[in-house]
Amino acid sequence: MCSMSMPQAAVAGLEPGFRGVICASFGLTGDTAGYDPGAQPRHELHFDAATPAALAGLRSALERSNVGVRLVLSGPPAEIRAAAALAADCGLLDEEVTLLEALAGPRVIYCPHCHTTTIMQGDGAEVECQGCATTLAVTDHFSRRMGAYLGYSAYAEEAS
Amino acid sequence: MTITALQSSVHPAVEGGLRLQVTNISAQTDSISSITLVDPSGGRLPSYVPGSHLVVQYGSGVNAYSLTGSGNAPSEYIISVLRVDEGAGGSIAMHQLEVGDLVFVSYPRSAFAPVSNASHHLLVAAGIGITPILSHARAASDRGTTSSLIYVYRPGAGAHVDEARELMGSALTECGDRNSFQKVLTEQLTTQSLGTHLYVCGPVDFMDSVLNQARELGWSQARLHSEAFGAAELDDGEPFTVNLVRSGVKLDVPAGVSLLETLEKAGKTIPNMCRKGICGECVLPVLRGTPQHRDLYLTDEEKASNTTMMCCVSRSEDPELELDL
Repeated sequence: MCSMSMPQAAVAGLEPGFRGVICASFGLTGDTAGYDPGAQPRHELHFDAATPAALAGLRSALERSNVGVRLVLSGPPAEIRAAAALAADCGLLDEEVTLLEALAGPRVIYCPHCHTTTIMQGDGAEVECQGCATTLAVTDHFSRRMGAYLGYSAYAEEAS
Repeated sequence: MTITALQSSVHPAVEGGLRLQVTNISAQTDSISSITLVDPSGGRLPSYVPGSHLVVQYGSGVNAYSLTGSGNAPSEYIISVLRVDEGAGGSIAMHQLEVGDLVFVSYPRSAFAPVSNASHHLLVAAGIGITPILSHARAASDRGTTSSLIYVYRPGAGAHVDEARELMGSALTECGDRNSFQKVLTEQLTTQSLGTHLYVCGPVDFMDSVLNQARELGWSQARLHSEAFGAAELDDGEPFTVNLVRSGVKLDVPAGVSLLETLEKAGKTIPNMCRKGICGECVLPVLRGTPQHRDLYLTDEEKASNTTMMCCVSRSEDPELELDL
């Protein structure tokens, strides 16, 4: 298992039409070694983070695969939720994806005012949007499509 | 207008529906005819979801038939009917219709819808099962989604073959026997890209075989879509007793008589349609006892929970069942 960032690297050794299990781990906490896919062929991937390059690599691997493939994702919530959103976009269904979520980790907050996402450390109730500097109140409403929690302008109703 | 004269009353399953006129009947094969229905006042008919069916009244009974169009702003509804000589009489009555006859039909009902975000539809049809599949193929073509079709029919007995060829081109594979079909199916099931969903319609054993193979090859249940139109022949079953708790009545259900028929004879009105364990209309709540589930409607989990049953086909494992009725 080696660290990769290029799409070509992610599909190295992956036969076209793969229908086994793709195990992708993220960051330091990601570990799919304990996952037993049974007799299915297994393709291992490791990424430091769910960067655009890493997600492009995962997309190449999924696009090379056929119906029947399963995906196992392990690591911090923000990373594997981004990967799960990508998998859904590629046509994988919820029941075909297994999430091995690390218990703690940063969250991704979506700003509906400027449509950017902000990574939030810790478990506070507010975060400043990195796109428009609005102070966002963080909700529990999670979008699987975006892999992010919904935020909203925290003080919109106060006179300024 | 022979049929209209026989329709003394409107069946509950088509009540509040449409009254349509037959404008064309064309023979697809020796035993399959296509029937075109329009609004006699010339209006446009309600759109429908691809794979929908229409409940059509014949005499005092009703039957469900798949619509073959794409469903988008239709000016006519076309159904294709296979004549089944040993059936309940519906298909024979349909084959006796003439141009100009008026029939009572329900609004289209959707129970076999396409998945809207699928990137490809793998369609599999056997025999008269082509009818809803053709609807899917037309809708996919209209919407610009790709589809491929495997169509199994006995030589000379295939309905809509020319339409399928024109619509699908090289994406159509025609099979005349089980062996060639097996080969094509296995090849197709192992080479689909990730956004593909499978839709199958045909005889029950045919669909079971296709769905089982798909599952064995790693297709998850959510990718598999099927529409049953013919239930397997069921045996007469053992006699049992039902205790209708709210009514305070006990009824004996003899072998060879369904629970639905027994309840109807006792004056109960149970909503029902297909009477074959397919449509799910005649569901009843079970309070105590283990039903012998013989329907195709409830999921395995629902069957295992033993809290509901389809009274048209299902019976009882225990000597007595308690129903919330």
